[in-house]
Amino acid sequence: MHSIIDGRPEDTQLMQGNESFARGLLEAGLIVAAGYPGTPSSEIIEHLAGVSQERNIYVEWSVNEKVALEVAAAASFAGLRSAAIMKQVGVNVASDFMLHLAETGTREGMLLISCEDPGALSSGNEGESRPYAKLFEVPLLEPGDIQEAKEMMPWAFELSEKIRNLVMVRSVTRLSHASGNVTLGSLPEVAAQANFKHRGQFLDPVEGPMVPLPVFFHHAEMQRKLKEAVEAFETCPFNHYEGPEAPEVLMVASSACSLYAMEAIQMLHVTDRVGLLRLATTWPLPPKLMETRLSKAKIIFTVEEVLPFMEDNIKALAAELAGRIGVKIFHGRGDGTLPSVNELNPDLVAKGLAKVLNIEYRPVAESYTKAAGAANEAAVPARELAFCAGCPHRASFWSIHNALELDGRDGFVCGDIGCYSMALLPTGFSSLKTMHAMGSGTGLASGFGKLRRFGLDQPALAVCGDSTFFHAVMPALVNAIHNQSDMTLVILDNSGTAMTGFQPHPGLEVDAAGNDVLALDIAGIVGAMGAHVETNDPFDIDGTQQKILDLLERGGVNVLILKQICALSPEKKGRKLFQVNLDESVCLGENCGCNRLCTRVFKCPGLKWNPVTKIAEIDDVICSGCGVCASVCPSGAITKKEVA
Amino acid sequence: MLFPCTLEQGRCNAHCPKTEVDFDLLSRFYWNEPYDGAPLGHFTRILAAKAGGHISGDFQGGGTVSALVTFAFNQKMIEGAVLTGSEGIAPVPRWITDPKEIANHAGSKFIAAPTLSELNRAVRARARRLAVVGTPCQMTALAQMRMNPLEREEFVDPVSLAIGLFCNWALDHRSLVAYLKERMNISDIRAMDVPPPPAEVLVVKTTGGEERFSLKEIRKLIPHTCFICPDMTAEWSDVSVGMYEGRPGWNTLLIRTRVGAELVDKAVADGWLKTEEFPKENLKALSRAALAKKERSLRQAERQGFLNTAAENERPSLYIPSDVVERILGREAA
Repeated sequence: MHSIIDGRPEDTQLMQGNESFARGLLEAGLIVAAGYPGTPSSEIIEHLAGVSQERNIYVEWSVNEKVALEVAAAASFAGLRSAAIMKQVGVNVASDFMLHLAETGTREGMLLISCEDPGALSSGNEGESRPYAKLFEVPLLEPGDIQEAKEMMPWAFELSEKIRNLVMVRSVTRLSHASGNVTLGSLPEVAAQANFKHRGQFLDPVEGPMVPLPVFFHHAEMQRKLKEAVEAFETCPFNHYEGPEAPEVLMVASSACSLYAMEAIQMLHVTDRVGLLRLATTWPLPPKLMETRLSKAKIIFTVEEVLPFMEDNIKALAAELAGRIGVKIFHGRGDGTLPSVNELNPDLVAKGLAKVLNIEYRPVAESYTKAAGAANEAAVPARELAFCAGCPHRASFWSIHNALELDGRDGFVCGDIGCYSMALLPTGFSSLKTMHAMGSGTGLASGFGKLRRFGLDQPALAVCGDSTFFHAVMPALVNAIHNQSDMTLVILDNSGTAMTGFQPHPGLEVDAAGNDVLALDIAGIVGAMGAHVETNDPFDIDGTQQKILDLLERGGVNVLILKQICALSPEKKGRKLFQVNLDESVCLGENCGCNRLCTRVFKCPGLKWNPVTKIAEIDDVICSGCGVCASVCPSGAITKKEVA
Repeated sequence: MLFPCTLEQGRCNAHCPKTEVDFDLLSRFYWNEPYDGAPLGHFTRILAAKAGGHISGDFQGGGTVSALVTFAFNQKMIEGAVLTGSEGIAPVPRWITDPKEIANHAGSKFIAAPTLSELNRAVRARARRLAVVGTPCQMTALAQMRMNPLEREEFVDPVSLAIGLFCNWALDHRSLVAYLKERMNISDIRAMDVPPPPAEVLVVKTTGGEERFSLKEIRKLIPHTCFICPDMTAEWSDVSVGMYEGRPGWNTLLIRTRVGAELVDKAVADGWLKTEEFPKENLKALSRAALAKKERSLRQAERQGFLNTAAENERPSLYIPSDVVERILGREAA
């Protein structure tokens, strides 16, 4: 397999954005990296972990993003360049430590890389982390293309070392997951020596203790460091301006939006009217550079994803500079020139720019759009998001849903974050009734379980995955047990962080670099906490349903661990537990009397409805052999035979 | 309902003893005659019965059910039986294939049990020639299933013997447990009984003696569906068995079908069952009680709109010919 350390300096390689980040970190002499999986960030740690032995660096999947930031900070304190890598919601998790870290500052260069998900392609939110840079007074960089993702890393480390504070770097899906040509630099010889100096003077940033007291001293230091960063930003080599010296419209863009803006200017043939400032230093804005550019255009059009963060800061700066640069007209996400939600793309930016320039923009003829829409409707079947064939979650939610219905007290499931979040859709029998942050399902169930005295007599059930259990569920479960809540937690243990690509977690016997490690036993932990705990195979539908029904009858905090490896995991993929057969003479087809329970409700992709014979069939190519449908068919038409 | 359904007539609707049960249809199918609302349903003979010498045990009544099921096994009339046992006070349905296990399932449960789910499990495991022992509602559901209401061409009746149990009401398990938990240690419970009137108590036998609870209180734990059930003697079965009031150690046995009659006759001839004539006075009393339940339940069903409802988009629980309803409710035109 191609590795990020293959290739010689000056070679040009096709790299994914996250590969480019990882290569850049290595070229910058990174020694320690820590992260928690989350799309679109996961590949950076995976690529680094893949070469950790050869490069003699330490890379870990941490239990959550806060701990990842702490692990990386420890390396910085001990004199090693480090990075913590996560997705936008991870920054929320890490934010408590991040504030305090910004106060104490860092020593050797340290980066927080946040890869974000505008449009929520793989998220339950369209959040973003850039405001944290402003909130915690640390500098923020946003590379504008895939080459820059690599090039910027050494520069960012140097900045961090110069100001002795954390530097935040932000990417987005279309940068992290797009691929482009990257010209390689050289990989330094690594001779890392770690030592944490703590015996110096109390306020000594290099040899003293790393504590935020006295607060006002440190707060002033944060602001002084930020000013130093601004100075460096004025001459940052990753800020670019292209276009007429005094354009009619100044576009200011960052990250992937820089590319969209370049394309939009080309598409509209307005290179002579529009200038583009591709800004990498998006917080704090470098005022001199900004003044130079703002003073030369009347109209400012800011292009960025998600919040109008840069736009608002430009407006504030322009107000300060108004005496010298005059009054400006602003467009962007704030005034609706660009949509205020969802991802941008070159077409949307071109539409916005056309509006600003008051010119016509028609990307395709209307007749084409109509014809394409009609063709789509006819040719592309409607498909919902769905669990894979043989997914243990489908079996788990079948049992959870049915047990709650049979229980008859209008019970509900508090959802959490993982593949199983899809259980809010028909593929999980619309079981989830709440879904928020990681661990929130258990926290909410803990709360619901205390509302009996106010008349809430519905059973509260929460679900979480095995990785989520370690990430954020444990404190919520402790809370429920300590406060004597009445709730049931179902842990859907599929032996990995399946949604993001089977990254290991503390419950597994392997770490990020593939080393053997001690696995933490979830049942043991939960039992030691004081919860009543049971374990079952979710493919055993009858047993699972009965266990859930029994647990719903019990008071206090109950935990059911449903353990079955993910159907797509490398260990299991392609191996069938059962050969599943459908007896056509037994299948009642449309006369089933349960309205085709198998293909209408259970809906495993391995089952299909034959519209000609009007009976169900097993799709042997798709079927993964879990055998659950044999328990679902009301007629017993589906049988399973263990595969030797 | 577990999942929303678009079917007019689905499996659950066709089988459920509480949705659109058409007594006239059942009567014409099983007895070849219109439903007439007779208090004890259709039967050919009524007897006093008890187990013969071949089996013994701690029976609630006379052990008639245990004797008949065991004998049916011995005669190879059945290969399996779906019965209801207990775990603690919870009734647990079980499919057995060994007659030695029958004794573990004897005794009244007084609690609604999902017996037919076990029948479903057995049938899906390709079991055939089964005996099913159940309450009137379970017998009603079973009778509907055995009619092949969905007109499946390949339908084969997996049931060879349906033994109905007399029942006035059953208790909701969850409510009963909650009620008893507040008053005693439920793990000490060994058995329960409702002695005949005028006792008006539920007797709970424990390891250390017994506790008595007023039926006035206990009746609050009856599922509301029991109050619209017009069937006391499990009318849609081969034979029905109940207590013989005033004669401990004996059962009342109603023979309804040819299958039931042959089984009973053979069991008597082979010494598995002892029978005696059922006194006329007792038959009158039993009929009175059964009619009272019919009357009470139909009134309740009518009040709640569950009887012969004709309104659009409304589905009744019961269809009973209106002249029969009028007769039972004593509203017949003079």
